[in-house]
Amino acid sequence: MNKLQNDKARRGILVHTPKIIIFLLFIMMTVISPVFAQTTTIPELDLDRIRRATVYVMQTRTVGGVPIITCVGSGTLIDRSGLIVTNAHNTVTNSACAGDSIVISLSILPDEPPVPSYYAEVAQSNIGQDLALLRISRELNGRVVNTDALALPFVELGDSSNVNLDQTITIVGYPDVGNSSVQTLTGTVSSFIAEPIGGDRSWMKTDTPIPGTMTGGGVYNQQGQLIGIPTTVPVRPLGADETCLLLADTNGDGLVNNRDSCVPVGGFINTIRPSNFIRPLQRGATLGITLQRITQPLVQLETGGDPAVSRLFIAPAEIDGMPTTVSGSMPTGTNSLYLFFDYRNMTPDTIYELRVTIDDRPSPTFSLAPVRWSGGQNGLWYIGSRGQVYPNGIYRFTLYINGLASGSREIIIGTPQQNTPSFSNIAFGIEDGENLYGRNNILPTGIVVNARFIYRNIPEGAAWSEIWYYGDTIIRRNDATWTNDERDTRILRVEAPGGSPLPSGRYRLELYLDGLLGATSDFVVAGAREGAFPRVFSNLRFTSADSLQVAVNNPSVQTFSTTTREIYGLFDWEFVAPGTLWRAVWSVDNIPFFDQTLPWDNIETGQNFAMLLSSNDRIPDGTYRLQLFIGPALLSSFEAKVGIGQLAIDPFAQATGVQMNGYVLDAETRVGIPNVSVIIISEDYSVEDFEWRADQIYTMGTTDRNGRFQLERPLQLKLPYSVIIVADGYLTVSADGVEVDNETENPLEVVIVMTKD
Amino acid sequence: MGFVEITGREQVLIRQQRLGHFLTILLIVLGLLYSLNLRTGVVSSTVPYTDLQAGISVNYPANWLLDTSGDYVFRVRDMSRTGFKTTLQVTLRPVGPDMTERNVLDSLNITRPISLSTYDIQSVEQIMLTSETPATLMRYTYVDTETNPFLESFPIVVAGEDILTLSGGQAIIITFRADARTFDQDRAIFLQFLRTLEF
Repeated sequence: MNKLQNDKARRGILVHTPKIIIFLLFIMMTVISPVFAQTTTIPELDLDRIRRATVYVMQTRTVGGVPIITCVGSGTLIDRSGLIVTNAHNTVTNSACAGDSIVISLSILPDEPPVPSYYAEVAQSNIGQDLALLRISRELNGRVVNTDALALPFVELGDSSNVNLDQTITIVGYPDVGNSSVQTLTGTVSSFIAEPIGGDRSWMKTDTPIPGTMTGGGVYNQQGQLIGIPTTVPVRPLGADETCLLLADTNGDGLVNNRDSCVPVGGFINTIRPSNFIRPLQRGATLGITLQRITQPLVQLETGGDPAVSRLFIAPAEIDGMPTTVSGSMPTGTNSLYLFFDYRNMTPDTIYELRVTIDDRPSPTFSLAPVRWSGGQNGLWYIGSRGQVYPNGIYRFTLYINGLASGSREIIIGTPQQNTPSFSNIAFGIEDGENLYGRNNILPTGIVVNARFIYRNIPEGAAWSEIWYYGDTIIRRNDATWTNDERDTRILRVEAPGGSPLPSGRYRLELYLDGLLGATSDFVVAGAREGAFPRVFSNLRFTSADSLQVAVNNPSVQTFSTTTREIYGLFDWEFVAPGTLWRAVWSVDNIPFFDQTLPWDNIETGQNFAMLLSSNDRIPDGTYRLQLFIGPALLSSFEAKVGIGQLAIDPFAQATGVQMNGYVLDAETRVGIPNVSVIIISEDYSVEDFEWRADQIYTMGTTDRNGRFQLERPLQLKLPYSVIIVADGYLTVSADGVEVDNETENPLEVVIVMTKD
Repeated sequence: MGFVEITGREQVLIRQQRLGHFLTILLIVLGLLYSLNLRTGVVSSTVPYTDLQAGISVNYPANWLLDTSGDYVFRVRDMSRTGFKTTLQVTLRPVGPDMTERNVLDSLNITRPISLSTYDIQSVEQIMLTSETPATLMRYTYVDTETNPFLESFPIVVAGEDILTLSGGQAIIITFRADARTFDQDRAIFLQFLRTLEF
């Protein structure tokens, strides 16, 4: 029996609102607290919480024992234990941001600049997507932070695929280098930008200019969910200017001048990385597991050289990353347009930018601010959009690589609808009678490859060409005069000389009409033929063992015990040419936590390519899946359960609700009482039922020296919580049926008055 | 000058009245004693706790918050304290056949300064538990700080005691921590706790 149960008459109450039902039961010397009657309808967007969850990020480097700032940005807490989402370019060490520590500053007071509070470490990152997850790790005095004990304000990730054009958004971040309080901007989503890495929603654009230091901050929907990250990479100027600030004597010569390194802040930005890109990183960071590639590269791939782009052309649509056709002009009302180009020697550190002009006037809507490169080293890329109308005009698309113009293409939009001659929709397949076999431009090894394409309005006698490439080498070229037949499709063939199979690797077909590129598409030959499809990866399996040697001989396992610490993912492969881009995706409970596209760097055919999933403690329960792709084609998949086959639900993952803060005061002196525990009992228990077990508690708060407290979790709407406040020397205060609803002010400020015992 | 003496008639209490007074006083005294006893009972009442898997049973003070979700077998805290929440905790750690109590203590003393501010060992001595089990007692202090950066709290000096003994291939670490200002006063609770502990 607790004190309260022994003395029900001592119960009291703290606060009420019209829709909050709190019983005021102060019997025997308990003073009724002043209450705040709140009738305000709260906005769905909890800006107070969002501001407190927004952090200022400083990357620093120690020079002569003194830390100097190397790069800055904003970030957002996405869980209570100190996981922060931000950009990679200003946190993960690189040539432009060569710091060795990351300092996190919090908005302790809403209208004041942020206060340095913690050190953080990079928990997960994707350099190309320019996203990083930081984990608060140490206090500023170097002491390790017990992250389990942290209860920091955080926001929930929203589903960025539900964002609509013209939707109102709120952008939050720090507008300068730590001199100002957190800033809130309002804007709308003005467009979406497509790239192969994320399809039509690879980027969002806003019509609101965002200060460069807000890169890495947050973009929110009306429900207060994080739907995007403002993202740009400042192109480092030759010297300090308004986009690169001189803050410290970095070379130790006693002067702060142009010889010192400046801190890049960039110009205004309007590019937003959608939040769905964060989920794999978040899942990876919270699982506490490590994924290693065990099989080491056996083939040295060609590297080096300056990054470059070439063969820019425009297509009205893409299918599986390939252009449907090549256009030189488009009609009025065009709402789908893609700029394709080849790229070489690109790395995740490469900064690329698209500047679009319409009739020589810059168009922010269709341009892309400088961002990190998220494709591989070499290949075919596109950037474009679908679903938004392109106004008539002469468009010039110019690509900048590391700040230098590297290629451009012009197209007229607004031409009348014409029966323009065209080639389109090239599809490849291994020939088998009348049928073409293959999967998403992935063809098994064979002697003949066919290409079927559609043609329209080609005049008799027109000069046309077909050019086939293997890698960069022309393997067949045919220049001919066009003759129409009864069908609107035509099939072209290519075969290896001497009847031998076509070697595995990347191929390309280009179709020219009157000397102009009319259509083009790439395909990959890989794997042995198995029915209609290629068998590239086979015998994919999971197993557990103490070493790789044992693992390769162990049988495949589909159910692992809950104490498993290591899982090997193994597979065999056939006819995969070095350099072929392949993709491995690991997921748990259908949410990826590892997704990487890499050039194949092993021999063409082999067995037991190994990846190791491991944990120092144990691999969390869940259903784990490994999927192997080439291009868009899923070629092999395997899944297995660990423990109960489902991740444990995190009861602290919810950020929505009403945040309760307040003061606990002495009834006599009206002075705050320090170190008092305010306990909110779960809705499943009343004060009477409370047995002083931690698992019965929904959340808690402890007062500071002023008697102020903040509950560690927001209260959920329309759930009847119970409250108990105990302090030595004071009568216990308690109440059942404490409810908040969507009309309760958020945050809810309460005053609790306690009377001396 | 004359004096006028005003005297009242002496009131003689009858026997029943005297008995009434006596009974009233007796009732008050008994009430006070009962109240004191009740208060003592409430304050010193305990709750049994048994963990069959860990092989531990103990009585802990009633109305202390029980938590078994951490890296300990169990932990109870006095949430009514308006300072550091006085804590009793039992932790088990597997030990190798050659490991000594001193080795376990060294391990604790290496890892604790990473997370406990100004962790300082006060003394280490050998003791005998009531069950005639040899054990090592370590006293230490550290500074506890509020983890919520949005609040303004003064650090609190915490005094702690670990009693460590090896049994059945594991180290049993019994921890008592309290605000340094009330440590001596609260230690009686710890000693009572120890008397009921069985493992």
